[in-house]
Formats: sequence, C-alpha cells, structure tokens
Amino acid sequence: MLRVNELSHAYGGGRWRGSAGSAAANVLQDVSFELEPGCCLGVLGASGAGKSTLGKIVLGLQRPSAGQVLFDGCDLYASRRRDIAGVRRNLQAVFQDCYSAVNPLMTAEAIIGEPLRNYERLSASELKRRTGELLERVGLSAADGSKRPSEFSGGQLQRVNIARAVALGPKLIVLDEPISSLDRVHQVLILDLLAELKASLGLSYLFITHDIQAAMALCDRAAVMDSGRIVYRTDDPSSLLEAKHETVQRLASAILPEHPALRVPWEG
Amino acid sequence: MPDRNVLEVRGLHVCANINGESVALLKSVDLTIGRGRILGLVGESGSGKSLTCGAVLRLLDGRGLDVRGDVVLNGEELTRLRKEPMRKIRGREIGCIMQNPMTAFTPVHTIGSQFIETLRTHSSLSKSEARDRAQTALAEMNLSDPSKVMKSYPHQLSGGMLQRIMIAISMCLRPSLLIADEPTTALDAVNQLQVLRQLDRLRTEHATSILLVSHDLGVIARLADDVAVMREGEIVEYAEVHELFDHPQHEYTRMLLEARFRGRKEGSPCFG
Repeated sequence: MLRVNELSHAYGGGRWRGSAGSAAANVLQDVSFELEPGCCLGVLGASGAGKSTLGKIVLGLQRPSAGQVLFDGCDLYASRRRDIAGVRRNLQAVFQDCYSAVNPLMTAEAIIGEPLRNYERLSASELKRRTGELLERVGLSAADGSKRPSEFSGGQLQRVNIARAVALGPKLIVLDEPISSLDRVHQVLILDLLAELKASLGLSYLFITHDIQAAMALCDRAAVMDSGRIVYRTDDPSSLLEAKHETVQRLASAILPEHPALRVPWEG
Repeated sequence: MPDRNVLEVRGLHVCANINGESVALLKSVDLTIGRGRILGLVGESGSGKSLTCGAVLRLLDGRGLDVRGDVVLNGEELTRLRKEPMRKIRGREIGCIMQNPMTAFTPVHTIGSQFIETLRTHSSLSKSEARDRAQTALAEMNLSDPSKVMKSYPHQLSGGMLQRIMIAISMCLRPSLLIADEPTTALDAVNQLQVLRQLDRLRTEHATSILLVSHDLGVIARLADDVAVMREGEIVEYAEVHELFDHPQHEYTRMLLEARFRGRKEGSPCFG
C-alpha cells in the first residue's frame, strides 16, 4: 500500500538558502520501508532524528531531495495533480499540537466536516448526521459539535482531530507524536481509541514517537531512526527493551521509573 | 536555629471576575518546601498548577485577579513587597524555568549576551567575569562547545539545550528556590532525562529548593521528595513521594497512578 524508496532529504540546499554559505544538512538518508494495510509501523527516535520530516514527505507535504513515495502505486511527487487527488483522501494526519492543527474560529462540526465537504456532496442535514456520528465514534457527543477548540481540553481536541482524520475512511493515518502533549491518563485513553479504530476500520498507521513505551503498546512493527537513517528494525516491538543497538538502548534507558523506589543512580 | 522552610504558601486564594461574577481559581492552597527539597506539584491541565507558580512569583499582578493569602520566602512576606524589591527577588532569589524554552529567550539576542546580562543584573560581576562563569556553567551542563552556544541565537538550538541553558543560569545565580513549570514536557525522552539530571545537580550542589510542576508521574517518581496533587484549584493530597506511590489516598491520585499503556493485543491483522 505504502512504499518508500531510498528517500533522502536535505534542508537548506534548495533555492532558498537559510543563511549564506550554510551547508545543506542531510536530515534523511536512504530511508526505505513498506507498510501493509491494517499495520502500524512505529517510527522512533530522539528529536532531530528526521522522524517528522519523514512524516511530512509521506503525506505529500514536502518534496524530498531524492527517492520515491508510492501510495497504492501512485508516486506522490511524480504524478499528475488529478491522480494524486484520489490518493489524498486515503492519506490523513494527526499532529502533536492539537490546537494549532485546527482553525480556532471553527466549530468542531465544521472542523470534522471539512474533508467531507471537500470530497463528498452531502446535504446539510446529512453532513450534520455524519459529523455527529464521527464525534460519537471518538468518544465525544454529537452535542459537542457546536463547541470551538478553546472549549475543549487537549485530550478532547485530539479526539476531534482523530475524527477529522477518519472522516473519509482513509487507508493510512500519519500520527506525528499524537499523544506527546497529553498527560498520561489521556495518553492511555487516546492510544486505546487509536488501537480500537485501527482494528475496526482496518487502518494503517505511521506512528511517529519518541516514547518507546507508547510504540510498544500500539505498533506491529518498529523502525528506529538516528541522524536521518533507519538504524534498527523489528517485527516484534515488545522486544525493543532488550535490543542491543545503542540508539534503541539510549531510548530505553530514558524511560522514567514507575515508582520512586526504582530510582537508579545517574549514569556517567 | 533549625533549617527554616524556604517557601511557605498559606491560604492562597485566587479569584477571577468573570462577567461580574467572582470565580474561585485557587481555593486555599498551602505548600511548604524545605531547603534543598523538591516538591512535585501534579494535576491535570486547568487544575491551577501554573497559577500557583504565577502567584508565588507575583506575576498575576495587574491581571484583574484577586489574590489573597501569604507567600513567605526565607521568612520574608512577598505579597506585600513593592514592585522594585520584588523584581530583584525574581531571578536572584527565585529562578524560573518554563515549559516553552523557545519563548523564554529573546529571539534577537545571542544566548551569550542574554546569559551575561542576566548575571550582571543580579551581581556585581564584570562582563568578562560573567562570560567566564557562563562558559563554565554551560560546560558543566554537558553542552558541547560552550563558546559556540554563547554565540548562537535561540532558534539555532534545540529545546533540550535551551532548557539546560536556563538551568545553567540558575546554577550561576544560585537562587534559594527554583520554579520549574513543566520543564521537560516539550522535550523528548532522552533530553528529558538530561534536564532532570541537571535539576538534581542544582539541588545537590547548591541546596536549591525546587517546585517541580509536572503532569508526568514518571518525572515525579524520578526526582521529587514530596508531592502535592492538585485538582480544580485545590490540593487534594499531600505526601512524601514513597508514601504517595504506595498508599495513594485520593481517588484522582489513584487514577493517575493506574494510567499505564496496555500491551498490544496479539493477532492484530497485519498482512505482509
């Protein structure tokens, strides 16, 4: 379904140089992977590893310096606009900052209804019924449709973002740190929702995160990135804590204790 | 004389006037932090954690909020201080680290000039002495190439680096109290651990007391000595950290402690 071939990307090397004389920095180098329907691939790494750039390129938002992104056989950066339009509805996203991902002046109903208005011809009453259903699908109530972003908590607004992402029945959702700004209680609830939607709607996820525990809870497969490269892959994310690779161990050692009695001395 | 508490907050009330109606945002908050101790303040967003910090720093003045209660720092009552002495206390006696390090620095000046300016505002150091202090403090923060960091602008550095620079400033000024409001929330796990480690250094080396606000119980479990749990403007539980994790009293605390990721269900459809 999704195939990423030898993707490389450098910022600053293009037409618009950030500052004179600055060398192009390689943020992605030779990244390749495949993603099957109904599968969740975790992309792990510390900040600056290139995870979000990869997410943007997969979404068709950032043309890579080299390499291909094939979605259902359509090359996102070498196809005609018309062909890509059909692919776009199957490709959705949920980002970390739920507040900046929505127009603060729009109601939840309008936010969730936007992709439906863009792709489907629905009557006003039909649109209202569909957005109401979507709100209930993600654990809110149809009455929340008239609220604006500022009236929701972070966790609730992330549910609105998820409802918008699933509105068109997409095949793949890129989840870029979708739970990182939430407290643990809400992180767990949102992750449960994502797992449930994936199972019932047959969704695929590209789950970008620095949280190894969250990745272990949701992903079927995982790729760990460091300095723009995939340095470790596994088909069994539950084994990540035992991985011998240095980058994975560094992420694993950053997990905080669950109880003060489990404090360990600082390393080094 | 026995060690006096560094911070004592008693009966802190904050009320907002919304459409002619008085709405209580903080309802009688009491906190005490001993010398070199770390008090964790946990609670969901909107529970009043940041408002408590703002009230201690007296940053709520002039916001149309009605603030009552006592805030005593090293025996000195802050709520009745005039503006100028209070300005001297911020930075010198109370250090501050906020959640978003990008907005804590001025984008148009280098880190070095902001670091040196801050040091010289609160001490009688000469410019070159301040520069030396700054470089040493940055090197101790595990920041490689401190002289390059000094010449950098905030946008050229990562969030984790900026938070460690903030702590480095506190290391030089040695305030008796540091208010760290969600200092690692915007950071990834690896950077988070480094920042927590440096906060611990600040408290062990300079006996700085820390008010550590976080919604992450992992951060609290790693660092705090005591914990206050807030909900809807009130402190609903207050205990020594082991006691809190072993015998949580309040239902909300128990809910926080029980929130864990469940393992993945086996046999999920992943066609290959």
